[in-house]
Amino acid sequence: AYPSQLGLQDASSPIMEELMNFHDHTLMIVFLISSLVLYIITLMLTTKLTHTSTMDAQEVETIWTILPAVILILIALPSLRILYMMDEINNPALTVKTMGHQWYWSYEYTDYEDLCFDSYMVPTSDLKPGELRLLEVDNRVVLPMELPIRMLISSEDVLHSWAVPSLGLKTDAIPGRLNQATISSNRPGLFYGQCSEICGSNHSFMPIVLEMVPLKNFEDWSLSMI
Amino acid sequence: MLTARALSLISKRAISTSVCVRAHGSVVKSEDYALPSYVDRRDYPLPDVAHVKQLSASQKALKEKEKADWSSLSRDEKVQLRRIQFNESFAEMNRSTNEWKTVVGLAMFFIGFTALVLIWEKHYVYGPIPHTFDCDWVAKQTK
Repeated sequence: AYPSQLGLQDASSPIMEELMNFHDHTLMIVFLISSLVLYIITLMLTTKLTHTSTMDAQEVETIWTILPAVILILIALPSLRILYMMDEINNPALTVKTMGHQWYWSYEYTDYEDLCFDSYMVPTSDLKPGELRLLEVDNRVVLPMELPIRMLISSEDVLHSWAVPSLGLKTDAIPGRLNQATISSNRPGLFYGQCSEICGSNHSFMPIVLEMVPLKNFEDWSLSMI
Repeated sequence: MLTARALSLISKRAISTSVCVRAHGSVVKSEDYALPSYVDRRDYPLPDVAHVKQLSASQKALKEKEKADWSSLSRDEKVQLRRIQFNESFAEMNRSTNEWKTVVGLAMFFIGFTALVLIWEKHYVYGPIPHTFDCDWVAKQTK
């Protein structure tokens, strides 16, 4: 990401790539329709011609009923395809749980041993030079890259939402409910996200940082954290 | 009429335009929009009535002269006859105005005023921006 960015962050997971392409497709349709409408409005406003008698317009009415229906189908089909793709069986290699709190996330890696820790935002005054304001955390979520990982998301108090845009993830954290998301990163690196459901005064100050590393590094890290 | 009927449902007193006009009929004139009227409209070139209804004495004389051979009418008389029938010519009724200059001017004025308000706000209300916006910090961030 960079300052004044307008578009989506670069995709780092296969689902996000699909979503980016879908977004390009849909946004193009939206731009075409909007520019057509804007053009017609300027035509309407800049003519001296008038026509005040009531009109019958069966042909154009048919067209502007059928054509939008066709356009909507052209949007719905790729959308549903991606929706179903998200729910495919993928045999996760690892399951991690995250609980939303006011105002931090806690993570539990309990497949083998009991590894649990909290992840608080680093206050602006404590940032090291070059770190990102309001995005860095004290304990990052270290995960192996290029593997499907099951993420179970819930909350200990109010609604939160666990979101990492570059991986195409956003899942609500609902108290009393387990939601599941699948993480799969194409490459190593740091992936940032922020809480995406209003949860009180520090809702803007509970970010998420995923550190995707090779499997060996992940194993070393989890050993060091227990 | 509709107002009178609607209001008479609510109150016993009939409160309507026609009553008010009848009370002040000596000084006020009200239009009956149901009668044919004169309009200057580009898309209605032949109005239902003439522009001037009551002709003055000279206008009446001119109308009499119009019944004779038209080549005897001077140019000014022809124009006067036209002005009896019509108020504005097509060129006059379609003329552009300078209204847009007023609109654009006011819009720019208010945008400028808003800019002044924002400058005042930045100086007197807001605190300093976070240190993470310093040049070297941004340079370290942006790899």
